[in-house]
Amino acid sequence: MRDLHLQQLRLNQTQRVRLQTALQKLQDVSPSSAAATVAVADNIPVNHEDGVLKGHGTSELDGQVVATLCGVVERVNKLVYVRTLRARYKPEIGDIIVGRVIEVATKHWRLEINFSQDAVLMLSSMNLPDGIQRRRTATDELNMRSIFEENDVICAEVRGFQHDGSLHLQARSLKYGKLKSGQLLTVPPYLIKRRKQHFHHLENYGVDLILGCNGFIWIGEHVETSNGVMEGDGGNKVEESNESSSHSVPLGEKGQRLMSLETRQHICQIANAVRVLSTLGFSLTTEGILEAAKASISLGINTKDMLGAEFHVQTAEREVGRRMSLLRKKG
Amino acid sequence: MEYVKLSGFRLDGRRPTEMRHIHAEVGAVANADGSASFEMGNTKVIAAVYGPKEVENKGQQIGNKALVRCEYSMANFSTGDRARRPKGDRRSTELSLVIRQTMEACILTHLMPRSQIDIYVQVLQADGGTRSACINAATLALADAGIPMCDLVTSCAAGYLNSTPLLDLNYLEDSAGGPDVTVGLLSKLDKVTLLQMDAKLPLDIFENVMQLAIEGCKAIANLIRQVLLENTKKLEYLRGT
Amino acid sequence: MEQRLANSWRMSVNDKKFIEEALLSDIRIDGRGPFEYRRLTIKFGKEDGQSEVQLGHTHVMAYVTSQLVQPYRDRPNEGTLSIFTELSPMADPSFEVGRPGELAIELGRVIDRGLRESRAVDMESLCVVAGRFVWAVRVDLHIVDNGGNLIDAANIAALAALLTFRRPECTIGGEDGQEITIHPPEVREPLGLIIHHLPVAVTFGIFGEDKSLVLVSLVLHISIDLSRHGGRMTTTVNSNGDVCAIQKAGGEGVMPSEIMRCLRVASVKAAEITQTIKESVDVYNENRSLRHIKRHLKSAPVEVRVPERGTEGNETGGVATDFSKLSSSEAGGSPMVTKGEEAPSGDAVESTEDPEVKPLTLKTPSLKQETQSPQRTLRDAVKAKQKKKKK
Repeated sequence: MRDLHLQQLRLNQTQRVRLQTALQKLQDVSPSSAAATVAVADNIPVNHEDGVLKGHGTSELDGQVVATLCGVVERVNKLVYVRTLRARYKPEIGDIIVGRVIEVATKHWRLEINFSQDAVLMLSSMNLPDGIQRRRTATDELNMRSIFEENDVICAEVRGFQHDGSLHLQARSLKYGKLKSGQLLTVPPYLIKRRKQHFHHLENYGVDLILGCNGFIWIGEHVETSNGVMEGDGGNKVEESNESSSHSVPLGEKGQRLMSLETRQHICQIANAVRVLSTLGFSLTTEGILEAAKASISLGINTKDMLGAEFHVQTAEREVGRRMSLLRKKG
Repeated sequence: MEYVKLSGFRLDGRRPTEMRHIHAEVGAVANADGSASFEMGNTKVIAAVYGPKEVENKGQQIGNKALVRCEYSMANFSTGDRARRPKGDRRSTELSLVIRQTMEACILTHLMPRSQIDIYVQVLQADGGTRSACINAATLALADAGIPMCDLVTSCAAGYLNSTPLLDLNYLEDSAGGPDVTVGLLSKLDKVTLLQMDAKLPLDIFENVMQLAIEGCKAIANLIRQVLLENTKKLEYLRGT
Repeated sequence: MEQRLANSWRMSVNDKKFIEEALLSDIRIDGRGPFEYRRLTIKFGKEDGQSEVQLGHTHVMAYVTSQLVQPYRDRPNEGTLSIFTELSPMADPSFEVGRPGELAIELGRVIDRGLRESRAVDMESLCVVAGRFVWAVRVDLHIVDNGGNLIDAANIAALAALLTFRRPECTIGGEDGQEITIHPPEVREPLGLIIHHLPVAVTFGIFGEDKSLVLVSLVLHISIDLSRHGGRMTTTVNSNGDVCAIQKAGGEGVMPSEIMRCLRVASVKAAEITQTIKESVDVYNENRSLRHIKRHLKSAPVEVRVPERGTEGNETGGVATDFSKLSSSEAGGSPMVTKGEEAPSGDAVESTEDPEVKPLTLKTPSLKQETQSPQRTLRDAVKAKQKKKKK
């Protein structure tokens, strides 16, 4: 939670008190890992007889293991490492990420992901628009711009590391590729945990939610991926076709079908839920986001008021309740 | 002019070995990867760190280390007379160089090859000791950004007026024309990385003044460590499982 | 940082390793010990306030000029001293033309701090009319060749130039006492600056790994990249044991005890260098006063010849005396010293006698030449020198 954002919230006195109590309760409920925090240049208590393996964020000084980062000490068997919080994205092979194209270069695209170097998406790691599996010719190279241009938002998977440390991406499956009709949000990467599923289709809202491991979150109109054409515009969704049959949907400039107002509002609600959770510093899970969105609808709060002080305080209180019930279930 | 009265108090009521009130905060600039604001008495400084990110100028890319850039600037309203300062004037350039080299000494640059780390330091209010405040703020911001460092660098200044070593000079004491010793210390390793001095001092008195400044640095290091630990704890328990 | 990296000389890994290993046994790559300076040569130009310093490979020139200006509002009865540095690409291809890079600015500010803030030059004596006219002294440092250790060499050049600089004398006159007449040097003897003490810069380079930091001094001829490696520390001390300025801008961490040790070494070195500077300045002043005496004599050919022989002889003589002094001061004189003595070869041997002989037998050489004056030409002058050698 950045104090700056909270300051912008302009809480009145009662709200401030409520927020403080909620945060205090969270601290009491917090997992014991919070106790193992270290700052830079702190000694990490280590049992030397075990033959410890020094991982990320540690270094050796005079036989002592010293932290080089601020974070939480994690121990896995013999490995000791420091897990940072507000750092840049730490990639692993197989991560789903969302990135933005910066440059179209020879046979590859450079993408900006929240990492110390830009990632590379080779032309050969990308499905061609006609879907045929074939060798990329010179014509394909010249037509790269028709696939992705600068500032396009793309969803891809980490394939590996290049020799100079930058990432190698691939977007061969149909669920990867260009993302249209939606919003891109940036949150600190540590709030997003690695799960089995990063693509979520929120049926009640008709919205796709992609939680990129690098902290880029995409909320957009749902796209059917069963047809095999990724760049489908606005799709052949069941709900959508219902709407289109009921009233005529206006056509956009390029002849695409524009989204309905309802879908857009849903996207905004989900996006605001994500923003609230990231401002408060709670980790982002689909359940959490859906809870927040549901709460805002049930409380009758306007979409734009979701970013106001009251909703923040209520979300914090709700989170306290949720964690306490979790704790009770465990204990 | 009497900078240290007979009673032992200085112009602002402090004792000779007393530092000004310090307030350090993490998270001053929302857009940056790491940021901090540092106040020493009336001197207020904000630091923002961006990185490690892709190098903007490919020609300057270093193959085995990160490129560290630093920019120091004083706001127009930071001193008593509101004057427009030219961006690249000599003092700013020298201070940018000094801060950059000081921070480079403690950042583990070999862990982030081919990337760039930008440090921006802005002085909002100048009342003596801006150099030290900038380095302290930069340390906090780098730690906030999750950039690996071998140690915390803290800095403090000391002087010698009316035959007394004084810790943490403010603007009046600084402009008295007496010697001014600024020390930057790697707190854990107990090593001096930054040392600047002007005006004349005999060798043995210089040693005393330098020691005093080193003590000041250690105290600031403790405080910075506390702030960082608290901040990390807070982020951790908010995040939950 | 802003230097053109493409043109800068990069050191290979072998070189770096070798240098560090050699330092562990207290040897540097040119055979010097850790705390030895290279050969120092100080020359002066024709005018007052021009000096040229060579420290091994490094070549720096300093020019001091003065001008009457209005003083600063908060210091109405003090003159000003400003230092400007020129690092042209002639010295090192990695320097850029035009805007001064970081190295140039750091160099200027370190020397400025050492000279100005330590009150080495007396400012109040530069005041002519309080609040209206004061002398502004400007020191321009031109780096002609970068062979490392620019700060030390430039500092020595600035000091030598300031010591020999003479500003014109001026009198206040006129009806309201506000008119100032500046007297040209022929009318009234120009005055020198009042210099209280000589702050000498001594730079140390820091080498070694974190565990065992070997603090070594007086940066090698491959300066820039090497000192970037571990950092460097410039201490400005004077011969009275005062510390005038210290600049250690980041770099490797050093124990405070090491810093004190370096300061003590620096004060010893500063005493030596001060001695050298003072001697060359004395020789220059002597020569200058001799030149003035010569101006009143009628015999023109003598004027042409004596300064030639004189300045050359004085310079080499001066250098030779320096060497003899240096070799006595440094235990186990380095090979450089003997080389220096051999280089001017025959001249050195003869001309060592000259400075001592000259003041006493001033008349005799002039008398000799007077008799031969009608037939003497420049060629004869040259031949005369050669004849001397063959002796």
